[in-house]
Formats: sequence, C-alpha cells, structure tokens
Amino acid sequence: MPLYIRRLLLVLVAGLCLAQSSSDMLTPAIRRVGDRLACLCGSCKNTVATCSMLGCHYSSPARERIAKLQAEGKSDDEIVDDFIKREGKRALAVPPAEGFHLLSWVMPFVAIGLGLAAIWAFVKRNSKPAVAPAAVDAAVLNRYQAEIDKDLAKLE
Amino acid sequence: MENLGALAILLALCLSAYAVVASVVGKLRNKPLLVLSGERAVYAIWLLLTTASGLLLYGLLSGDFRLAYVARHSNRAMPVLYKIAAWWGGMEGSLLLWGWILSTYSAVVVWTNRRKFRDMMPYTTAILMVVQCFFLLLISFPENPFEVLAVGKGITEVPDGNGLNPLLQYWTMAIHPPMLYLGYVGFVVPFAFAMGSLITRQPGDAWIHTTRRWTLFTWMCQSTGILLGAGWAYAVLGWGGYWGWDPVENASLLPWITATAFLHSVMMQEKKGMMKVWNMVLIAATFFLCIFGTFLTRSGIVGSVHAFAQSPIGKYFVAFLAVGIAATVYLILDRLDYLKSDAHLESVLSRESSFLFNNLILLASCFAVLWGTIFPVISEAVTGEKISVDAPFYNRVNVPIGLFLLLLTGVGPLIAWRRSSWESLKRAFRWPTIVGVAVMVVAAAMGALHFYALVSFGLCAFVMATIVMEFWKGARAIAAKSQQNLIAAMIELTHRNTRRYGGYVVHVAMVFLFLGFTGAAFNKDATHDVRVGDKFTIGRYDLKINDLLDGDNDNYSWRKAIVEISVGGSVIGTLEPEQRVYKASRQPTSEVAIRRRLNEDLYLNFAGVTNDGKNLAIIQSYVFPLVSWIWVGFYTMLIGTIICLIPAKVKMQHMKTETVGYVKKNAPVHP
Amino acid sequence: MLLAACALIVAGAVFLTFGVREKDLPQPDAESPVQHLEERKGQIYENLRDLQFEYRVGKLSDEDYQKTKTELQTELAKVMAQIDQILGASPATAKVQPAASARPEPGTVCPHCSAKFDKPLKFCGECGKAMVEGAA
Repeated sequence: MPLYIRRLLLVLVAGLCLAQSSSDMLTPAIRRVGDRLACLCGSCKNTVATCSMLGCHYSSPARERIAKLQAEGKSDDEIVDDFIKREGKRALAVPPAEGFHLLSWVMPFVAIGLGLAAIWAFVKRNSKPAVAPAAVDAAVLNRYQAEIDKDLAKLE
Repeated sequence: MENLGALAILLALCLSAYAVVASVVGKLRNKPLLVLSGERAVYAIWLLLTTASGLLLYGLLSGDFRLAYVARHSNRAMPVLYKIAAWWGGMEGSLLLWGWILSTYSAVVVWTNRRKFRDMMPYTTAILMVVQCFFLLLISFPENPFEVLAVGKGITEVPDGNGLNPLLQYWTMAIHPPMLYLGYVGFVVPFAFAMGSLITRQPGDAWIHTTRRWTLFTWMCQSTGILLGAGWAYAVLGWGGYWGWDPVENASLLPWITATAFLHSVMMQEKKGMMKVWNMVLIAATFFLCIFGTFLTRSGIVGSVHAFAQSPIGKYFVAFLAVGIAATVYLILDRLDYLKSDAHLESVLSRESSFLFNNLILLASCFAVLWGTIFPVISEAVTGEKISVDAPFYNRVNVPIGLFLLLLTGVGPLIAWRRSSWESLKRAFRWPTIVGVAVMVVAAAMGALHFYALVSFGLCAFVMATIVMEFWKGARAIAAKSQQNLIAAMIELTHRNTRRYGGYVVHVAMVFLFLGFTGAAFNKDATHDVRVGDKFTIGRYDLKINDLLDGDNDNYSWRKAIVEISVGGSVIGTLEPEQRVYKASRQPTSEVAIRRRLNEDLYLNFAGVTNDGKNLAIIQSYVFPLVSWIWVGFYTMLIGTIICLIPAKVKMQHMKTETVGYVKKNAPVHP
Repeated sequence: MLLAACALIVAGAVFLTFGVREKDLPQPDAESPVQHLEERKGQIYENLRDLQFEYRVGKLSDEDYQKTKTELQTELAKVMAQIDQILGASPATAKVQPAASARPEPGTVCPHCSAKFDKPLKFCGECGKAMVEGAA
C-alpha cells in the first residue's frame, strides 16, 4: 500500500510537469551514459536512462545535459564526473566501487562466503563417522524386524 | 461513535496485557482457570476489535467526515468497494487492520488448540498477545483511527473528504494490502508456537506439525500480495514496470525470502530431526522481518517519500524489535541443548546438502536486498555523503544469485535423501541437461544474445525437464502397478504426496516467473509526438494513429488515441490508450492499453499533449516480451500451494500403539 | 445511548474474560506420553515409503537403497524400542497392542512384498528380489 503512495507522488509530480514535449532524446549514446546515473527525482529507483516518467524534472534535463556535453566532445567518464561535481556521489546509479562504498558490493559476496564456510563447518561437524553399525543396533533391529516388515507391506 | 471505537481499542489493549499475565502466571502457578481466562480475553479482544473495525467501516461508508481518518481517505463519490478499501488506505486504519487480523488469527489458534498442548499453549497465547498489545498500543495512542477533526474546541465536520487516490481505485489494489497483511501477520503464529515449544521444551516437532499448513497458507497470501502489487503497477502506472526495488517493495520481499527458506529447511527437521536451531532462527527472522517491514514503511527511516507520512512511531518499533530479538536470541542460546540435532549427515551428495545450499542462496539474496536497502543510511552515517543504490545494483547482485537458485530448483529434487551416487545423478541429469543446452542453442540462434538471458532460458528448460521427468517417471511407475492411464496415475501420484508434487508445481511457477523476468532483457520502448494519420514502428508492430478524441464527464476529462496495429501489412487490432484528469483531485491517470500475449505484450500509454503550440499527442509505446508469464506463474503458484495444502491420500497405516484414557499428570484435569 | 453502548461492550468483555467457571474448563485431549515418538515413527515409515518409490523410479542405486533402508529400519526399531520402554514403565497406560508375533526365521518373509515361505530363500519367489540383506 505504501507503494501506491509513492506512485501517487510520482504521478503528482508528473502532473505538475505535464504537457511538455516528448523530446526525451534517448539515443543509444545517451542511454549508455544515462544508465550510470541515478534519477534523483525523489520517487523512483530508476536511472536517467530508464526513468520513463514523462517530463521527469530530473531525468529530462539530465538527458539534455548529456546530449550537450556529448556534442562538446566529452567522454562518458567526463560527463559522469560532471554530474558528480554538481550533485555529489548520489548522482551515480550505484555506489562507486571505492573506499567505504566498496562495502556495498563486497558484502553480499562476503555473506555468501561466510555462508559457505558455515555449511562446510556444519558438514564437517555433522558428518557421520564411517563406522559399521553397532551390534546393539542390529540386535534392536532384529527384535522389531517382523513388526516393521508387516507394517511396510501395508504401506503401498 | 468515535468514543465507542476508541474505548473498544483501549479495552482491547488492557485485555491483551491481561492475557499475557494471566496465561503465564496461570501456567507457572498451575491455575487452569486463570489460563482459561487468558484465552477468553483473546476472544474478547477479537470482539472488541471487530467492533472497532466495524465502527471505522461504518464511518467510511456513511461518510462521517468528523473523523480525521475518514476525511483524509474517503469521499462521497467513491464506489463502495474503495470506501471499504480506505480502511487500509492510511496509517491508522492499516494498523487497525493489522491488529484485527492478528486478533482473528489468535482467536482461531486458541480455539482450535483449546484441548491440545496444555503445556505450551499458555506461552503461545502470551506471545501472540505481546504482539497484539504492541499494535494496540500504537493505535490507542500515537495513531488513533478515531481521532476527530478538532479545530479550536468544537468538533468540526468537513463537507467532503479527500478521497482515495484515483490510481488506487483498481481492483487488485483493493485486495493487495490485506493479502500482504494476511501474510505478514500470519507468521506471528508459527513464531509463537516455536517460542512456546522452546520455552516448555516440547518433545518432538509438535510446533512444526501444528503450523505446517498455517505457514503455507501465510506464504501463499504473501506471494499473492506481492504479485498483485506487481500486476497493479504494470497495468496502471503507465511505464510497464512491475518491480522497482523500492525500499517498500523490498520490505515485503525480505520476509518472503526467509519464509521460503524456512519452508525448505523445515523438511530437514521433519524428515530427520536436523537443523532445529536453524529453523528457529529462520522463523524468528521471518517474524522480525515482517515487523521490520512494517516499521520501514511507517517510520520514514529510508527517506522514502512514498511511505506513510513521517511519524513518531518509529521509536516504538525500534524498541519492540530490540527487545524481541534480544529475548529470542537469549531463549535460543539458553535452549541449545534442547535443539540438538537427532541425526547426522550421511553424505555430502544428498538432498540434505542441496537444502543447505538452497538456504544459503536464499539468505544471501535476502541479505543483498536488505543491504542495498539500508546501505544509503549506513553510508550517510559513516561518510556523511548521500549516495544512491538504484535498480542496477539490485539487478547486478541478485541476477546471478537468482539464476543459481533456479539451478538448485532443478538439481535439488533429483538428489535422494541421505546419499546419492554420481552414477544415478548422471543418469537423472542427462536429459534435462540436453534439453537445457538445446534451448540455449535455439535461443541464441534466434538472436537472444544476452548472457544472463541465455543462461536463464537454459536453466528454465533444465528445471522444467527435471520436473516433467519426475511426474512422468512417478506416474509410469504407478500406472504399471495399478493399470491406470498416465493422467489418472499422475493425479494419483500427486494425491499420494501432495506436499512434494504440489511443491513441484510451485517450482514450475518459479520457472514461469523467471521466464517473465528474463523477457525484460529484450524490452523495447519508443516515445512519439503524433497527430492523426501518423505512423510509427516498434518491434514488429506498425502503429497508425487513426483518431485522437477528447471528452468530458462529471468525474473526469479524458483524451484518447485510437491506434491501429498491424504486423507485416495485415491489421491485427486496435488499441485505445487514454488519459484522464480527475476533477476532484486534478490528478491525471493513465488508462494504458495492453495487447497481452504469451510471447509479448504491446503496451501503449497516452502520456499527454505537447505544449509547443502544436498540440501533438505523446504516445509511449513498449514491447515487453514474455511478461505475461509472470501472471501465469502467479496462478500456477496458487494452484501448487493449494495442492500442498490438500491432505495426502495415503495416511500412515502402520500399527499404532494406541493409548487410551491417558492424561498427562500436570495437565489440568476436569474435576 | 452512547453510554449504554459503552457500558454494554465493557460489561460484555469483562464478563467474557473474567466469568470463567470450573465447568468451563475444556477436557484436554488425551495426550500420549509417546506422542512424539509415534509421530517420529510415522515419519520414518513415510521416509521408507518414499525411499522405496524413489528406488522404483530408478533414482537410487541398489547399494544406496539397501544402505539407506537398513539405516531407516534401524532408526525405526530404536524408536519402537523407546516406545515400548516408556509404555512398559508407565502403568497408567492401557496398552492396546497386538501380541508381537514370533520372529520368523530370516529368509522366510520377503522384505519387499511380504510373501511368506516355509523354507528360508535367497530370493523371493513372488517378486524376485533379495530376501536377505546383501544377497543382491
């Protein structure tokens, strides 16, 4: 349900900027750079390339800016840097793989590693030592074999 | 009226606190009457909350706009269905729904177990009532649904309410929240039983047997809730997305993942008496993640504008979670000896270890989602710098994890319990592998050159082949013995072990879901400014604007495009995407037009009109390959889970050592 | 009116909760002291049945099948022994159990199809499977 509150805001914002042109300018080149940049319109988790809100007050100007910088001959990295300069690191769609932010990428795989270690430890601890079944077991089994057989026959 | 409602809630709060004390003290002092009185309190709470909910519903239906809640979430013009839906449209009402569902579940649990588990039930009741007490505390004080609009000193009434957002006036949205709550709240019950059996050191796995169906039903509600939300987003919002990795969505996914892990690993305990600690941890994690999800959407901690408004109840939740988790951890650690495993692992190559990996992978994806959701908060706290964790992060981390999970879905069921040999595995996997590789080759030849998509298609085929083989081999064995035809044998097979074969059907549903997700790798979209007579192309479709219409009625004004669709020169139909602007809320909504087919959906959205003086219509067009399989998967999942819920035909007929007239010494005895 | 309604729900809730009398106590179900063991037993039988079925559809090698089967049967026997021990030590319990039949000589009853034979056999005359563990 809270999900729809978010959609509500999304559409409200869309409503405010309604009636613009569709010049979203999504050329493959813009899409390539836009995919690396977060849409910061505040209500979506999309990138500048994938935000499909019409006339998004962040993505649309961002696309235009990418186009302009590309026309000036800037490389992809330079354009991304330009966005970081203006908005800070949050302009990136995903945390940069450096410094503290590296943790965001590493931790899930560290978790898998720890899990594997845990499984290994579990398997080691719980593996049955390869000993022949004790004579006691055989004796107990013998005592009840008839009953078991009788029950088993009824199972199918 | 509002006084009556508030009184009922307050009284229920007192009774829930009483029920906790009465149950525990009654058990410890061995006073069965006190325990019974605690159980009676559970019924009384249900009656009180039903009264309160009834009063709120009455307020919503009759338009009692003196109530702040009614004024904010309902209006006179709304259809009855959405007036009812306004019950869970806001924070206070939704918390009341939480409480009411919990009270209903508790009453059912207490009633069905009134003669059973006399040792354990007082504690189970007490735990249910602790949770109940917490939610009643919230709706008694900080979030009272019966607050009146008090301006100055008098009670003021507004002529009409704000109404439920028009976007939400869609049938799946009316049932999505209660479904999700049925799921969220439902996990309190297995948790309460688990803790009860832990406290009283019940012999055996009684809590698992008792709550088995409960857990499945709850899981089904949760899955339904999540997928209904996805379906609504797809059909209503105009951008064709069904999952946005939004904190709120993630919050609903987390307990679902741990619950799925629990459903699997609990089999280890039932079959072999292993993993007892782990199952306790999983059910506790699921419960606390449910609470955490409720907290996340209601406290604004992840800075999401889409959640409920900022509210002071965050600290209540933090306190509850902290105390609850600490108590659970203490209890589990204190009773480790009781949770000792009965059995060993015979071989690494066994069903047991495939379950271990299944749990690892599920938990890893749960952790990845949780980590991504809270990382911005952590990062800001540590570095002081805001960062974004958007969809690409989740996709990059979760896609490989998901694919590995899909692989396990195929591999696990083919490995025998206890031990398996490479020889029999090779035999079992020969055909599925061939099918999987063949599908990959065909898909690649057809131009689906996308690494993950290819792997996914291959795995989907592989898993599907393993499941089909399971059904086929089993049915053949039965058919040979009982001279039935294969279809009858297949039904017989499923009926004999509904949990296993129902589980396979759910696995098939997962394959369908993955198929649907994979289609997203090949989505196409284009946006055009058009006038009547214009043509454009998307994918294999040629679209022509036949007409542009507009109009007006009491409720909204609308614009609409009549778009003719043709493929290869022949017309296959028309689509009519429409945009409405509701007058009351001045809010535009899209009535998207979708041509749904199993291979791909054609999706048109009338997004607006240009304001450059030319007044061109803006049409967003999308092609979403395979997306329909998500909904096919949803229905398949429902069928599969229902099959699991049906009792198996063959009950054990082994000789039972019957005991007659035995009553446990410390159980309350009828005088 | 409002006061009356308030009084009514308060009185109702209080009466329901506190008006418990001795005769309202439900008779608890008879709980067997071996309940959990019976459940365990049933589970092992089910495991055995699964095992047999999986073997029949060819998921298991003969060797694995025999090994697992013996293990399961041993576990079963242990559980049964436990049940007997508890019930034997509990005089409060009325035990309704068919008299244990005399154990047949090994090799006279087929473990697979339960066919009975007068003489010990190596292979079952009915289903053809090994009558004695390890004979296969």
